[in-house]
Amino acid sequence: MSSFSCEQCEAALQSRLFCFTCNTLQHPPHTLSYFEAVGLPASFALDLKELEAQFQRLVVELHPDFYAAAGRREQHQSELSSSLLNRAVEALRNPVSRAAYLLPQLATRPLDERSLPPGFLEEMFLLQESLDDLLESGSEAEQTQTQQDLQARHAALLAELPQQFAAVEAQPDPEALQHIQTTLNAERYLRRLLERFPHS
Amino acid sequence: MAYSEKVVDHYQDPRNVGSFGKEEEGVGTGLVGAPECGDVMKLQIKVENDRIVDAKFKTFGCGSAIASSSLATEWVKGRTLDEAMAIKNTEIVEELSLPPVKIHCSVLAEDAIKAAIKDYQSRTA
Repeated sequence: MSSFSCEQCEAALQSRLFCFTCNTLQHPPHTLSYFEAVGLPASFALDLKELEAQFQRLVVELHPDFYAAAGRREQHQSELSSSLLNRAVEALRNPVSRAAYLLPQLATRPLDERSLPPGFLEEMFLLQESLDDLLESGSEAEQTQTQQDLQARHAALLAELPQQFAAVEAQPDPEALQHIQTTLNAERYLRRLLERFPHS
Repeated sequence: MAYSEKVVDHYQDPRNVGSFGKEEEGVGTGLVGAPECGDVMKLQIKVENDRIVDAKFKTFGCGSAIASSSLATEWVKGRTLDEAMAIKNTEIVEELSLPPVKIHCSVLAEDAIKAAIKDYQSRTA
């Protein structure tokens, strides 16, 4: 991560939203990335404990209530930064949305956003159809079994992500990047199937 | 977000739900998916003398996706293949008053029509 310094005291910043050395709200560009906002390296292998810790530290300092008497510019900035912080943490906390956020930034050329493994769509349609019957009239044991199978398949897709990202973060190979996009596309169809089960 | 009256109407009373045998004579099948949301849509047409005489669909997705495909089956019936090919998703958006976040549902329906026609054409070529 490139280093940035506080616009007030010039101390090195971790998050570009706030300087903890002189306790000053920063005015970063609107194009600030989610990773820059939370002050953590732009990598899929994000330390979730650090993410939560950064969130807790920042959310207090950025809160618009503190800037009620600080003039319109500061009020506005605290609202912008609070909102960005919330969006950033929301997106980065979850591995799927983190992957979806990070992937286009790593891509050296546009990815095909509709790619799926061969035959996958047909299989999803048939699974959706079979769930109609299963959820209507299947036994509880059958339903549980199907749900567990789908959950295992979904988990297996997610389990591929850390390694896939480690590879493309080291070297942005277009094919490997597209493969991750395909994984993320397939994930959404599996998630939709799982959403049909009660308590999933 | 509230669905428009027309979306609710198609959702509660979808037209032409079902399927034809894939290998049936004159049948074209379009199967498309929306990676944005994981919706899957199958739309089938039955063609006689270059005119679509019947259509069926089955969609697993949100109300807007179901309404878009239901409307699509109504619209293609009676049209020639060329006329059906010319149906634009924006017409579906307008008819159903879809909000911007649901435009991809109408795109899916347009894609399904085109995929069904191409499938028919590839099987009769």
